[in-house]
Amino acid sequence: MTPSLDAYVLLSSALFAVGFLGVLVRRNTLVIFMCLELMLVAATLALVAFSRFNGTGDGDVFVFFILTVAAAEVAVGLAIIVALFRTRQTIQVDRIDSLRR
Amino acid sequence: MTPLSTALLVLLAPLGSAALIAALLPRRGAAAAAVSVLAATVVAAGALSLALGGARFSGAVEWIRFGSFSLSLGFRFDDLAALMLAIVGVIGLCVHVFSLGYMRDDPARARYFWGLSIFMFSMIGIVLADNLFMMFIFWELVGFSSYFLINHWRERTSASDAAKKAFIVNRVGDFGFILGIIVCYWENGTVSLGELGAAHAAGTLVYSRLIPLLLFCGAVGKSAQLPLQVWLPDAMEGPTPVSALIHAATMVAAGIYMLCRIEVLMVAPSLQVIAWVGTLTALYAALCAVVQRDIKKVLAYSTLSQLGYMVAAFGMGSAGAAMFHLTTHAFFKALLFLGAGSVIIGCHHEQDIFRLGGLRTRMPVTFWTFTVAVAAITGVPFLAGFYSKDAILALAYDTNPAIFALLAFTAVLTAFYMLRLWKIVFLGEPRSESAGHAHESGLSVTAPLALLAVLSAIGGQRGAYARAFGGVFSGIGEPGGATHGIVLATSLCVLAVGAAAALAFYSTDGTDSLQVRFPGVFGFLGALRASFDTAYDYYVARIQQRGALILNFVDVVGLAGVVVRGLGGAAEFVGFGLRALHTGRLSNYVYWFLFGLAVMWAYAAGVL
Amino acid sequence: MEHLAFNCLSVFALACALGVVLSKNAVNGAMCLLLCLAAVAGLFVELHAYLLAFILVLVYAGAVVALFLFIVMLLDMQGGQPWHFRGVQAVAGLVAAALLIAGLDLIAIRGRLGAGPASPGDVGSSLELYAYPLFTTYLLPVEVIGFLLLVAMLGVIVLSRRAGEPGESK
Repeated sequence: MTPSLDAYVLLSSALFAVGFLGVLVRRNTLVIFMCLELMLVAATLALVAFSRFNGTGDGDVFVFFILTVAAAEVAVGLAIIVALFRTRQTIQVDRIDSLRR
Repeated sequence: MTPLSTALLVLLAPLGSAALIAALLPRRGAAAAAVSVLAATVVAAGALSLALGGARFSGAVEWIRFGSFSLSLGFRFDDLAALMLAIVGVIGLCVHVFSLGYMRDDPARARYFWGLSIFMFSMIGIVLADNLFMMFIFWELVGFSSYFLINHWRERTSASDAAKKAFIVNRVGDFGFILGIIVCYWENGTVSLGELGAAHAAGTLVYSRLIPLLLFCGAVGKSAQLPLQVWLPDAMEGPTPVSALIHAATMVAAGIYMLCRIEVLMVAPSLQVIAWVGTLTALYAALCAVVQRDIKKVLAYSTLSQLGYMVAAFGMGSAGAAMFHLTTHAFFKALLFLGAGSVIIGCHHEQDIFRLGGLRTRMPVTFWTFTVAVAAITGVPFLAGFYSKDAILALAYDTNPAIFALLAFTAVLTAFYMLRLWKIVFLGEPRSESAGHAHESGLSVTAPLALLAVLSAIGGQRGAYARAFGGVFSGIGEPGGATHGIVLATSLCVLAVGAAAALAFYSTDGTDSLQVRFPGVFGFLGALRASFDTAYDYYVARIQQRGALILNFVDVVGLAGVVVRGLGGAAEFVGFGLRALHTGRLSNYVYWFLFGLAVMWAYAAGVL
Repeated sequence: MEHLAFNCLSVFALACALGVVLSKNAVNGAMCLLLCLAAVAGLFVELHAYLLAFILVLVYAGAVVALFLFIVMLLDMQGGQPWHFRGVQAVAGLVAAALLIAGLDLIAIRGRLGAGPASPGDVGSSLELYAYPLFTTYLLPVEVIGFLLLVAMLGVIVLSRRAGEPGESK
């Protein structure tokens, strides 16, 4: 007996929400980034669950793409953060507000 | 040279002179004077040739068109215009020549002649205009010229105040005038005098009581009738030739002229009103004239009184009688003013009559010409004023006995104050240094006086006028036998009574006998004179000023503050609020993102 | 106890996720992320997606998290106040997260996603099942992803240059 689809969706949305919470409250850019990855993982979980419960393999295949994109995104994002650190000497998000007003 | 082009030359010569003076000669007084006098000569020659040559014509050219409304400029040269143009031309020339001598030592002479030229242009425009809009344009120009010339000695505050007063009071009258023009256009579809006349003949004219009364407002302002007469005495601040030309002979007569032009629009009730306004003005002004000290002020009130006569004559139905009196009045009033001017410069600018005296021997030419003028105005038989005044009194006797009585009494007062003036200024012994050293001025001063004296003497011959300007004078009826006798007797009587009383009552010792012997009467008359000014002052200062302050408050606080700056401030406020959203902080932006997402969800879920 | 595996794994995943969010130390956070990924891999196995579980651990846990750790330790920040989960920020964040869960599940429950045919036949999880769609139906995305990876590589190279310094590698 596998758990119902609703359970997986609920779990996935809970993980997503936790990741979102992290993006909102943390000040360290790297931790924010990690929470973004968490959100992506939650999305992949939902996709796999749907694919399983609909009997097709399309959802699984899609996860491939997501993983690839996530990897590329992490690489570029971290490069940006490092460049940002070089100019600002900080990675605290609330000190990087030169677009203010 | 066709009559039309002569008329055009007459109209534009003064304008050309003004332009020339303004452009090239603003500091060259002598040259400006010469140019202006030349233009006046051209005007006089042209006017007389047109008037006496019998040419009568009209022509117009369209100027502006807005859809169905069109404004045209044109000439309407009929008998009435011919007569008026002749008066304006002759008096204008006399005044210009007189000014050569009078203003010889004035540093701003060029500016003065510029003003005179502009005035001549505007006045001729009024005379020749063939529709009410065009007349109104030149009407306003004449008002401007009057303002400019009263204000000639602009370093005096009394002069600037008088000029402003003249202009503003005129403006009040002109407001009624333009309303009348608009209502006339609304009712009749036209303001062209020719078309109105044709409609009147064909019986298709729309008559209403309102139109003539509104148009009369213009005459009340310009010709200084009650209650807008307050500006004319103050206008004596201007140079004396200006007073002679503008405020005696021509501009103030423009109101009468305009009334005669719109005669076709008149209805009986309006005429009643007009007649009474004129009569009361005549009486009031004569009463005020009795207590004046300044030679020019006496003449100003005399002008007011005579204008009242003309308006009353028109109101009683005879435009011809009004124009006749206007013509004779122009001659002798201009003569009186120019004579006063001669006295003033002869006595080194002394204007108080109680400091003059004994000028009979010292300034003989002035004395004799002034005497002729006084005789004319009081109605000495066979001089000009006698005939015109008799015509009016006869008309009054036949029409309205009450008005006849009042006008007769006014004639007594006229004789009274004119003889008072004559006696105190010219007879007796000099009462001051300047009077003692008085002397005649040169030919430029005395020649116009002589010419005008001749005209005042012979200018009452109705037959000659009727031949030349038949259309105007046909309206004056020949009085019947009994009326003729009674009126003749009355006018001789009032002349004798008034003159004898004045000569007997007033002494030449330098005091005002009325003030000394009947101080109550003197005080009453003085208060009567000042009553209008006091009332206007009260109204303007208390009532109108309060209203103006309230409006100013509404404008500054309401419109400029709330509406204009308020709207700007509201936009600024919104912008300020929006600016606060740009915190630069990532988390804030994510919150806003979530908010947008929630709104979209709510919308999709049908909640919103 | 039904669904023992699912329940345990899901609780563990959530706990580690909260650990990522709430841990003061970034390295601790990365470690928690690793554990969370492991739990999710377990859930994948539960859903018979064995290949994906394996790839998740290999790529994500192995490469991405490792990269994170490298960078965290490279940018080791000692200064600044330590962060605490409290105050208006925390409450607002909790509210937002709750809102998000509510929204997502409203859609799920309204849409009655779970009302379809319950677990149809297991399609199995051979490699061929993944490879075949990748090279037929989803060929275009595969090519685009390849292009994307190239661009990402170039981007990283460009970004990691210091101003004025010649490129270290072409």
